[in-house]
Amino acid sequence: MATYKAPLDEIGFVLFDVLGYETAVRPLPGFGEAGADLVRPALEEAGRLCEEVLLPLNRGGDEEGCRFENGVVRTPDGFKAAYDAFAAGGWSGLALDPAHRGQGLPRTLHFAVMEMICSANLAFGIYPGLSHGAADALHLHGTEDQKALYLPRLASGEWTGTMCLTEPQCGTDLGLIRTKAVPDGEGAYSVTGTKIFISCGEHDLADNILHLVLAKLPDAPAGTRGISLFLVPKVLVGDDGSLSERNGVRCGGIENKMGIHASATCTMHFDEAKGFLVGGAHGGMKAMFTMMNAARLAVAIQGLGVAETACQTAVAYAKERRQGRALSGAKEPEAAADPIIVHPDVRRMLLTMRSQVDAARVLACWTGMELDAATRHPDPERRKRADDFVALMTPILKAHLTDLGTECANTAMQVLGGHGYVREWGVEQLVRDARIAQIYEGTNGIQALDLVGRKLPQGTGRLLRRFFHPLDAFIKEHEADPCLAPMTGALKKAAERLRGATLTIARKGLSDPEEAGAAASDYLRLFALTAMAWAHAKTVVAVLPRAGEPFGQRKIALATFYMTKVLPETGALFARIMAGKGPVMGLEAEAF
Amino acid sequence: MVGKVAVIGAGVMGAGIAAQVANAGVEVHLLDIVPEGAKDRDALAKRAVARLLKTDPAPFMTKRAARRVVPGNIEDHLERLRDCDWVVEVVVERADVKRALYARLLPHLKPDAVLSSNTSTLPLAVLKKGMDEDLRRRFLITHFFNPPRYMRLVEIVADDETDPRARDAVAAFCDRALGKTPIPSNDTPGFIANRVGVYWMQAAIGHALRLGLDVEEADAVMGRPFGFPKTGVFGLIDLVGLDLVPYVDASLARALPESDPYHAERAPFPLLLKLVEEGYTGRKGKGGFYRLNREGGDRLKETVDLALGTYRPARKAVLASVDAAKAGGAAALLKAGDRGGAYARAVIARTLAYAIGLAGEVSDDVADIDAAMRLGYNWKKGPFALADSLGLANLKAMLGTEGVAVPAFLDRAIEAGGFYREEDGRLRRLALDGGYVPVERPDGVLLLEDVKRRSDPLAKNASSAVWDLGDGVLCFEIRSKMGTIDAEVLGLMGALPGLVAETGARGVVVYDDGGAFSAGANLGLALFAANVGAWDQIEALVEGGQRAYSALRYAPFPVVAAPSGLALGGGCEILLAADAVQAHAETYAGLVEVGVGVVPGWGGCARLLARYAADPMRPKGPVAPVAAAFEQIGMAKVARSAFEAMEMGLLAPGDGITFNRDRLLADAKAKALTLAGGYAPPEPATLRLPGPTGRAALGLALADLDKKGQLTAHDRAVTTELAGVLTGGDGADWTAPVSEDDVMALERAAFMRLVRTEGTLERIGHMLETGKPLRN
Ligand SMILES: Cc1cc2nc3c(=O)[nH]c(=O)nc-3n(C[C@H](O)[C@H](O)[C@H](O)COP(=O)(O)OP(=O)(O)OC[C@H]3O[C@@H](n4cnc5c(N)ncnc54)[C@H](O)[C@@H]3O)c2cc1C
Repeated sequence: MATYKAPLDEIGFVLFDVLGYETAVRPLPGFGEAGADLVRPALEEAGRLCEEVLLPLNRGGDEEGCRFENGVVRTPDGFKAAYDAFAAGGWSGLALDPAHRGQGLPRTLHFAVMEMICSANLAFGIYPGLSHGAADALHLHGTEDQKALYLPRLASGEWTGTMCLTEPQCGTDLGLIRTKAVPDGEGAYSVTGTKIFISCGEHDLADNILHLVLAKLPDAPAGTRGISLFLVPKVLVGDDGSLSERNGVRCGGIENKMGIHASATCTMHFDEAKGFLVGGAHGGMKAMFTMMNAARLAVAIQGLGVAETACQTAVAYAKERRQGRALSGAKEPEAAADPIIVHPDVRRMLLTMRSQVDAARVLACWTGMELDAATRHPDPERRKRADDFVALMTPILKAHLTDLGTECANTAMQVLGGHGYVREWGVEQLVRDARIAQIYEGTNGIQALDLVGRKLPQGTGRLLRRFFHPLDAFIKEHEADPCLAPMTGALKKAAERLRGATLTIARKGLSDPEEAGAAASDYLRLFALTAMAWAHAKTVVAVLPRAGEPFGQRKIALATFYMTKVLPETGALFARIMAGKGPVMGLEAEAF
Repeated sequence: MVGKVAVIGAGVMGAGIAAQVANAGVEVHLLDIVPEGAKDRDALAKRAVARLLKTDPAPFMTKRAARRVVPGNIEDHLERLRDCDWVVEVVVERADVKRALYARLLPHLKPDAVLSSNTSTLPLAVLKKGMDEDLRRRFLITHFFNPPRYMRLVEIVADDETDPRARDAVAAFCDRALGKTPIPSNDTPGFIANRVGVYWMQAAIGHALRLGLDVEEADAVMGRPFGFPKTGVFGLIDLVGLDLVPYVDASLARALPESDPYHAERAPFPLLLKLVEEGYTGRKGKGGFYRLNREGGDRLKETVDLALGTYRPARKAVLASVDAAKAGGAAALLKAGDRGGAYARAVIARTLAYAIGLAGEVSDDVADIDAAMRLGYNWKKGPFALADSLGLANLKAMLGTEGVAVPAFLDRAIEAGGFYREEDGRLRRLALDGGYVPVERPDGVLLLEDVKRRSDPLAKNASSAVWDLGDGVLCFEIRSKMGTIDAEVLGLMGALPGLVAETGARGVVVYDDGGAFSAGANLGLALFAANVGAWDQIEALVEGGQRAYSALRYAPFPVVAAPSGLALGGGCEILLAADAVQAHAETYAGLVEVGVGVVPGWGGCARLLARYAADPMRPKGPVAPVAAAFEQIGMAKVARSAFEAMEMGLLAPGDGITFNRDRLLADAKAKALTLAGGYAPPEPATLRLPGPTGRAALGLALADLDKKGQLTAHDRAVTTELAGVLTGGDGADWTAPVSEDDVMALERAAFMRLVRTEGTLERIGHMLETGKPLRN
């Protein structure tokens, strides 16, 4: 089984020391009680649940998987009990509106809890994760009646949610949706069509499932502008919230797939199912984007969670496994061999993982804090700035952190050697589980296009201002400090590359979108690596007072490794971006 | 020669015509009847002038122009006609009333005075019935379009009896003094523009109803994609007035023979009558097909549902055909399968066929018909040019599927290869006989589009080009959208001295054919660079602009700026840097930089100071120019005409003003040639500026405004920087003159400080998104 201890100290350090949670989040309206004295125990509680309940189920869930029997999906042994414990603990509605029985706690805290859940049991986390996304969409776009009826049960975990976008002919390109919704004359709609790959579309964890379905009205214009969003409950609900008859929704089967076996990936048939419009007619993309943005950040955190577990497992193994001798002479001559952690190449792998995972966590929590500011801050200008930052970082985190999840799982496998490839240590499951996060919720390629095609031009680069201006100010503030010079120097170099690449893409992409498209993935990675360098520099600033302690030394060492061994990749990325679209678009399709 | 004018009838059109005559610097009598029992017998004309002063967009170019309108009445003041060279009648559209009036006027007219009617519905022949022999040869129709200051068309209807000298004198006055384009029209119902335009509107209404389009949908189709005004037809009717529609329709229908295809397009439209009855006469009333509903406290945009006849919230048209037009233009729209495409085909096929069929009836000259629609209805292309651009064979096929008869002249054009053709660098039009004849430009008209037809640019890049106008004058053209100025424009501007030397040219005109001379710096590029913190790029743009503008000013050849439309910010700074300006009367100039949170950075501060200091008409002393510049720039004042620009000192006393847009380039070229003889570049100005004491004084003035709550937080930041620049910076002092370059260095530094602030970037972003300044 994979090794995992909830990194409570690390999370606390990031929130309270690096990011200043107490001055940034706690003063926000409604969060007065959510200070360190509440957050720390809550994290401990969540950590315990993850370590003691979810982690032990992970292996069995993978091996047993979900089963489809007579239209019903059975989750693996122990999942129902775990889900009940989860709901009873109040975790389902952690960051949901207290007006509808949510806990009303900060997103920042939710992000940290989600990370631990994904570290312990990625497949399990998908069930409550989707409920949270559905609740967000209803909260922002639903009518008051819809909210009153459905939100409390999502918050309590009694019911779960899904998002139904994908159809056989329609994956990335949602304009191709065929599912139809026809007004039924009584204010509701009759929804008909088939959706595939629907996570948690059917299961036995909760009494009801609320499907949020994209479909087209009869007079819908072509393309994504003609999509509307419908709420289609598995079981219809009376005005008092009581369950009545089954709706015309059924599961036609579940997928056999590479990983997340405990998460049911369902084919869903809607057969004149009763649906309720959420948001305006043809306003489905807008409503769904709310859900997708939240979901994209949630998927980013899946990547982070898996990466953390991979990293912990590899470190534990590398300290125990003895092979060969240190190149500088035996470290533990009394033993038959030194632990493999003495080898430079093993250290390279471990540090590559750890230095990136720690920085990724800083970025994720930072974005969570901005998300809180975007919804709660009393100053509308500040809210808008925070919203811009989150909008900018969302595709970057989704793509980069899920890439990191796969990268770390594979690197961990390399550290474990053959023992990583076989099942026992749990690393091969991590590799399989992590992989989907790069694909769903918009493939990582699509995230890169979102970044260059939407986020860059938005407000003529306004979103970028929320990154570059504070970054430049940070560098300016600290570059004179000799202790920080190695950090700020490297950071500045990366920042200049990112700036140059941004201007080039904006200039070329204006006249030729293919130029932007050809640079997109490299650009997103350049952005992410630069942002992580900033996260490291911030970390070092926070840890300077403790530079003499082991914790401080560790952080400085990790930052130094990152700046010197990881960040230089930005040079290669810059060169790749500058090469333009020629090398990518030159070859005719037939010539491949 | 027309020296004095009288306008009889002080309604909207009469008053508007009088205002434009006054704008041209000509005294004009405005006479109307004496209202029954009136105390003030001139009340109608006086009221009209008062209304003119309140109208937006303003009919007068300056307040002073209003004083040239002399109000009076036709009972007491007909003797005033005695020294008028031209009398325009603009009274009710009733032949009997008009004819009776003419008889009353006759004894008072100067022997060679010309009398014209502004009728839009009555034929010349009808008006002349029973007219005195002598008057018949100096009577004609001059048909203006509303609003007369801004619409460039005047249709001239004369006949065989008309003395060509009388006709030409009035046409020349309309052309040169009033800036209109006189288009001769036959004496046919609706003349040219309304004949085509009203048909188009009727067809556009009728087929929208038939095909079940929304108001928004119809307007999205029948507007921008075809180069029609973006209001579309329903929006246009709101503008002209719903009540006019049935009236115009009825009078045209009455005048046209039964065989005219117009009758087939007349559809009953009870909803329109109902709206008019309820006071929804359009923008002049409570609203029309669109209205702003203020009931709930906020301003809700609403639209009439054509089926139900009630208002509902406005919505954006969502049509695949309109989307297709964005990429594929009008041709793609006409191919679309949805109701937008069907609508476009129905209306365009009929309108173009109708217009083509009118050649030979309303006018023999297709270029004149096209010009009438461009200048009278604001179409980007007239019907013949539009037909050419759609492809005549396509059009014929479309007529087939629409079941519209193919006009013989269309077949002739298909045979010949188009209504227009370019040959030897000249534009030619198809004559009725199937041959091509050159499109003639009047004397003194030089169009850059003609220069482009006959020659290649001497140099060009994405945003600008240099053309040879002949006679040793080059034209620097800013070709970017709205004439915005970027590094490319500045680069080519910097290359001008070299090009002039190479070609042996003697002068340069800065000019473009578009609707805007220059809206200023390309803010989009600057904002993006600022957002990513690429300050060096922005500083390079500021420095580059200063260098390029100074290079123009101190080059060994004269530079004449010839603006029309917007000349804002960096565009206005070109006017200040040029040796001279020849401005179209419709020039809207101003240093509006503070609206986007910066100070003028391309020498505008330095040159405006120098100009105010050197102007003998302005108050003397070192404080006055600084205070004046501070007010002008600090309040982002925009001149609403070239005359106002002159009052504000944005144009200099020796600068020229041209009323006719088509004559602007030739006038500017002539000015450059005049200056070229014995030209010596100006000396750089030295300025006496007050320094910190002056800054403190301006600070007090600001504090005063602040106390009154007239300054926002960021206004304070921006105007404080502006005060620093205009007073010469920390080191300045009355006794130590500073150079233009010193002030420009201050401009640069202040600009760079401001552009780093959040407030400024928010202002720029807001301007780009909404076109309006942000008060933050
Ligand atoms: C386990 C699992 C769970 C899932 N859960 C859900 C769910 O709960 N709800 C749901 O609606 N869907 C779900 N999906 C579907 C998932 O979101 C889609 O698979 C994903 O969006 C990609 O669509 P596709 O598979 O059709 O790939 P395609 O869209 O066919 O893409 C194939 C490749 O082409 C690239 N590509 C496509 N278009 C472009 C473009 N315009 N520019 C550049 N590259 C492009 C993609 O990046 C990808 O690399 C799930 C899928 C899986 C496997």
